[in-house]
Amino acid sequence: MSIENNERQLIKFPLRKEEDWRTSFKSKLAKFKEGFIEVDCKDWPLSWKDLVKLKSLLERSGFILDGIYSQIPETLVSAYSLGLPTNPLLSKEAEGNYQTQQNLNQSEERVLFHEGTLRSGEHIEARGDVLLLGDVNPGAQVSAGGNVMIWGRLLGIAHAGKTGNLNAKIIALELRPLQLRIANEVARGPEGKPEPGLAEEAILYSGSIVIRPAQTIFVNKKTHTIPPTP
Amino acid sequence: MSKNTRIILICSGKGGVGKTTLTANLGIALARQGFRTAVLDADFGLRNLDLLLGLENRIVYTAQEVLEESCRLDQALVKHKQEPNLALLPAGNPRMLEWLKPEDMQRIVSMLIDDFDYVLIDCPAGVEDGFRNAVAASKEAIVVTNPEISAVRDADRVIGLLNTHSVEPIQLVLNRVRPKMIASQEMLSVNDVTDILALPLLGLVLEDEQVIVSTNRGEPLTLSSSKSPAARCYTNIAKRMQGEEIPIIDPSKEGSSIGDKFKRLMQTKIF
Ligand SMILES: Nc1ncnc2c1ncn2[C@@H]1O[C@H](COP(=O)(O)OP(=O)(O)OP(=O)(O)O)[C@@H](O)[C@H]1O
Ligand SMILES: [Mg+2]
Repeated sequence: MSIENNERQLIKFPLRKEEDWRTSFKSKLAKFKEGFIEVDCKDWPLSWKDLVKLKSLLERSGFILDGIYSQIPETLVSAYSLGLPTNPLLSKEAEGNYQTQQNLNQSEERVLFHEGTLRSGEHIEARGDVLLLGDVNPGAQVSAGGNVMIWGRLLGIAHAGKTGNLNAKIIALELRPLQLRIANEVARGPEGKPEPGLAEEAILYSGSIVIRPAQTIFVNKKTHTIPPTP
Repeated sequence: MSKNTRIILICSGKGGVGKTTLTANLGIALARQGFRTAVLDADFGLRNLDLLLGLENRIVYTAQEVLEESCRLDQALVKHKQEPNLALLPAGNPRMLEWLKPEDMQRIVSMLIDDFDYVLIDCPAGVEDGFRNAVAASKEAIVVTNPEISAVRDADRVIGLLNTHSVEPIQLVLNRVRPKMIASQEMLSVNDVTDILALPLLGLVLEDEQVIVSTNRGEPLTLSSSKSPAARCYTNIAKRMQGEEIPIIDPSKEGSSIGDKFKRLMQTKIF
């Protein structure tokens, strides 16, 4: 495949409530020039498998997948775990769908979105899930009633399921925290550094906190584990 | 503010990491390069910038009298004997801490900008009122830290606070670097520090006994053409502040005497 086209191109999925993204994807794609392309997956939760399919679909049509935009943290994590070039920037539209600190009290379901590194002494708290784009430095803390998802390095303290949710988890691109807490369990962080490029998650497993490669909730755990990126 | 005076806060969070020493040395170095430079001692509780510059016995008025309008600014500014481009605005009485407000610091600085190219503010340790007052008057910052976990942690906290005050750019100086300890992994490496703090590195300053000697004499190292390791570091930092591209020393190549190099070669069985 020869790539002459170096322009940035972005193809957008429709929103989930509008139509299935697969319906008109090919006809939309025909309007783009062969070469690199980024995909805005909107609010579609895509698994590792979905992304592999998307990637090969693009390749068959002469495109190289050059970035994923998504409003869904799990999609971002799937994409990262797959070693796809991913773009954690959420579009303005997407931000509107996320909860801001102010309307935190109104609903517990949505994701608290925070952009920027948390430095020593800083603390964010969410009643539901939290998605942080940046690092959590030593001395900083994130806590959430639901899951803690960190698009960056976790070097400080994270507390998921602080109101007792035993299924809450902590996902980070680089998991080397000082301390992890899930519900009422507390664990010291692991010694040493994790393998680079491998997102990890901490979950509660028969009463203690364990760390494993990130498996987003949309990935079928029986059929495959996420391969480390090269 | 009309002029392009660079108003730079020199801060660290943790105490004793080398803020005042850096302020004094940069002040002299910038003055020697021809810039009209004012150094402002904002550490009212434990002032000692005057000492380090050897100007203690020439102080008549301080920032306090300037604010109270019982003297003019130029009466309070103490010119350096050898480097007339440098002037110190001394800190007043520690009791100033009780009433000083961010607006007061802003007022002092706004009086300085017409006559100076650089205003360096020596910040007190901590993140309380003294720090907040000093931040309010600053445009940019240099965060000083040591390759120690506690100093890095405090620097991180300070950077977080500077960000909320839209002080920009914020650059990093890593002071008291000991190449041998880094080589033997007994000290955080330069990478370990920049990895956490994620700031552009303005320079390293090597651990150097001459710093202490010069402090006691009240003659910053940059005042003479001293070839001591720290003197070189301070001078390079001053040049980088003007945008000169001077590569940052590699601590792993410093301080290794011929003897050390020989030993290493022996270990690698080249001989
Ligand atoms: N590069 C260096 N090599 C050796 N000694 C140093 C170096 N830098 C600073 N020091 C020494 O460390 C001590 C503290 O330095 P300094 O007073 O500049 O710190 P500070 O951050 O201003 O402290 P404070 O927070 O109390 O104001 C001094 O004794 C000084 O001589
Ligand atoms: Mg000091």
